[in-house]
Amino acid sequence: MLKFTEQQEQLRKFVRDFVEKELAPIASKIDEEDTCPVELLRMTAQLGYNGVFVPECYHGVGLGYTERAIILEEIARHSAGFALALMTHHLGVYAILTWGNEEQKQKYLPKLCSGTISGLSVTEPGGGSDFAGTKSTGQLVDGYWILNGRKCFITNSHCADINVVLTRTGEDEKGRPRMSVFVIDENTPGCKPGRKEKKIGLKGSDMGEVILDNVKVPVNNLLGKPGDGAKIGLGSISEVGRSGMAAIGLGILRACLEDSVKFAKERIIYGKPLSKLINIQFIIAQNRIDYEAGRLLTYNAVGMKDAGLPCVPEISMAKYYTTEASINAAKRTIDLMGGYGVIADYPVGRYLRDAVASIPSGGTSQIMQIIIAGNELNK
Amino acid sequence: MNIAVCVKPVPDPKFYDKITINPKTKLLERNKIPMAINPSDKNAIETAMQLKELYGAKIILISMAPPEAKEILKEGLAMGVDEAYLLSDRAFAGADTYATAKTLAAGLNKLGFFNLIITGSESVDGGTSHVPSQLGELMGLPHLNHVIAMVTEGDILKMKTKIENGYMVYEGRLPMVLGVGKEINTPRYVSLMGVVKAQGKPYTVWGLKDLQLEADDVGLAGSLTQPGSLKTPPNERKVEMIDGDLEEKAGKILEILHTAGVLN
Amino acid sequence: MKSCIQRVFLTKGVDDLKIQNGEIWVIAEQVKGNLKEVSFELLGKARELAVKDGFPVTVVVMGSGIVAMANDLITYGADRVILIDDPRLSLYQNDIYALVLENLIRKYNPGIVLFSASYSSSEFSATVGAKLGTGVAAHSVDLYFDEQGEFVQVTPAFGGRVLGEILCPQTRPIVASIKPGVFKKPDKDPARQGEIIEASAAGLEHYESPLKALMVVQENLSGLPLEGAEIVLAGGWGVGSAEVWQLLEKLAQGLNGAVGCTRPALDEGWAKGEHELIGVSGKTIRPKVYIGFGVSGATHHVVGIKDSGIVINVNNNSNAPVFQISDYGVVADVKELLPALLEIIEEQSNIHN
Repeated sequence: MLKFTEQQEQLRKFVRDFVEKELAPIASKIDEEDTCPVELLRMTAQLGYNGVFVPECYHGVGLGYTERAIILEEIARHSAGFALALMTHHLGVYAILTWGNEEQKQKYLPKLCSGTISGLSVTEPGGGSDFAGTKSTGQLVDGYWILNGRKCFITNSHCADINVVLTRTGEDEKGRPRMSVFVIDENTPGCKPGRKEKKIGLKGSDMGEVILDNVKVPVNNLLGKPGDGAKIGLGSISEVGRSGMAAIGLGILRACLEDSVKFAKERIIYGKPLSKLINIQFIIAQNRIDYEAGRLLTYNAVGMKDAGLPCVPEISMAKYYTTEASINAAKRTIDLMGGYGVIADYPVGRYLRDAVASIPSGGTSQIMQIIIAGNELNK
Repeated sequence: MNIAVCVKPVPDPKFYDKITINPKTKLLERNKIPMAINPSDKNAIETAMQLKELYGAKIILISMAPPEAKEILKEGLAMGVDEAYLLSDRAFAGADTYATAKTLAAGLNKLGFFNLIITGSESVDGGTSHVPSQLGELMGLPHLNHVIAMVTEGDILKMKTKIENGYMVYEGRLPMVLGVGKEINTPRYVSLMGVVKAQGKPYTVWGLKDLQLEADDVGLAGSLTQPGSLKTPPNERKVEMIDGDLEEKAGKILEILHTAGVLN
Repeated sequence: MKSCIQRVFLTKGVDDLKIQNGEIWVIAEQVKGNLKEVSFELLGKARELAVKDGFPVTVVVMGSGIVAMANDLITYGADRVILIDDPRLSLYQNDIYALVLENLIRKYNPGIVLFSASYSSSEFSATVGAKLGTGVAAHSVDLYFDEQGEFVQVTPAFGGRVLGEILCPQTRPIVASIKPGVFKKPDKDPARQGEIIEASAAGLEHYESPLKALMVVQENLSGLPLEGAEIVLAGGWGVGSAEVWQLLEKLAQGLNGAVGCTRPALDEGWAKGEHELIGVSGKTIRPKVYIGFGVSGATHHVVGIKDSGIVINVNNNSNAPVFQISDYGVVADVKELLPALLEIIEEQSNIHN
């Protein structure tokens, strides 16, 4: 049985209170204007959301991935786009927390917990899921790493203060590319956002290019060892990135469920509430099933991560399920609402766009299926 | 500095239009409306927290309420207060504001000396705004209600109170009882750190015996006002809908004004 | 502290306060030498109650430089006015005012004491009630004697959704506070005679207050005041924007009406200020005609207009609860109806010119 602790239930209640008062009223506006409300990311920092799983000794809250998922679900229920901005920040935090040395953790984590924003720059035109396509380079010159390249589809590209970037730094004996991950400090010359993309959904977070133009970075900014890049990049995305997306999909599923129920109860048709019609009840039942299933998959997966258990397939299943199901739930909810469903005043159209846009983040559904099948076939 | 904040759980005001009166029992049907902390009590907690941050203080939260109020008190602990006390007993039921103030006073007296006792200026359910004044009188302390701004200068408080279309300014010497209005500040959101820290904070429940009060000092028996019957506001109007296109509707409205004799 | 609680317990037996439905007292409210309208409204109600009660009606006025107020109160129905004119009372302060009134009440033993339920006076009523150990019914909307002769006070709860009767069977005097605007100001009778008693601020001689009232500041408000306006145009959430609100203001000007608002419209910043708020936490009004634009009909607003003459409401939702409490309903987009109304008015004024 899925059961949250009293503290987790309380936490959800207070996150919901914040989200309903500060985010919900601007959700529609940030979607229309396609802007990331950066000041809100500073507020979430003050409330501890930005460093939820960072230990207290680094000024984090010392909680875990279940609490993180709760926060992302609550935020995504009103703005999946803004949830993406926060969840991406967590990726940079996680990379430093997991693979940084003590000096790096002391230097960066307190800042990242209290308002400084991070991005994780991995994807390039040459390869997203395919790391080997990385063309950005890092060269050790006179005791500094010089980074060059162009990253694309990077969330928080235009608002990140600190960038965690993956570049190719050499080749192994077999000629395969070796990657390394670097932390680029605030205001480092040469590192800047490039073109900003207009997404079809998940607006409320910036997404665009990060340009690396002879960025000079001290050796102390290398995370882990040279060659650890693939491990760090994949390691951050596979569990923390995908579980974040699972929680975001879950938030969208809940939004569809709640809005469909509210509409069905209030809309009067043929003299009775819409909810009296059987076909409407079928839609509501399916929305409910999808939400409950997504909830169980998601919280089971993050619960395993909190327990220190290997959980890549479980997280992949959760991400696959909630993101795909949220597309169907949004379409169903639009159908339920009839003419109103296609009017921009109602957020359900945004839910559909957000759901569709969430598929490629952290790896497409097809990649998830490959992971799950691989795990199953190799048992 | 020792500060006490009195809070009250109330049915969430967002749902007041859902409250009905059972036609048979003539009693209130709360229809599963969730409870919330009385809005201006949150301002009271925030006032105490700001003083704590400026001067250092120990903040006690106290409430006379049924056992379900634990959630409300936990919220206060998560906002940053140090200890919470719930005064709960069957005997306290049916209390009017005076009996409530009496019970709160007994709890506060048991806890010791406070430089400042703060509560919201009125509760959204009853809305009497009496408790701050009654509490002050019962405890023999100077009191002021509807405080919307405050500055401390040592033991002296300089306060602005709300009046219709304006305000008054008072000076008061601590210890005092204050009722604060929602204009005084913006209550902080509960942070994750607050939730974690709240788990370890002392939470105590006291009943009639712990307060050394008698049954007829409290609750309905100890109340000075007694409740009579309840009803929903009567409505004798029956609407006549005005049809037609926009111009016709506008014209009809002006015709009604003309007939009523209010047009020049 | 304990002794304070015990002191009140002793008075509960009511040995020193005689039980009587006796004189009805109205505690007038004045600020900076101006008698508030509510004082007359309460006087009117007290006169009405006195018919059944059979006892005289007294108005108490406290302040500094207030002697001239007494005659005015008599012409509006007071049989007696007790004036306490003292420089120490120039600004309202709960402990000082309550001490003086407590002494007066203990001396004269009235049966019923009515206060205004303004911010200051409701605090005043609660303080006096606590000192006397008697019950106070807050912001009552009706007062009457039932068949048994028991005095009943009707008070709203849950934002006006529920009305509850309050009784005060054990203690005297019975104290109630009433919101301004609930009762009607009575007619003036310039020939009316009455008694004026000048009393002293007894009890203050040896009292040193830990509080000090420093000043009162009253804002000058623009626009026609809601109280007393014959036409009120109220806007709610459905007005939708500041631009459309301007049209409402323009229409009010054209009709010589006052502008009112609901809480959501006030929170959006469209209305000028809280003085335009109508409802449980705002004003109670009784215009000849009330026209609501985009008002949904939430109880906490609607309770403020129930005594209006004609109630017209405009809302684009035919299911809006507001139509249930209206005399006339118009289903229309406020954004479109307001210009239509303005056009007709302009035409009519052109015809006249």
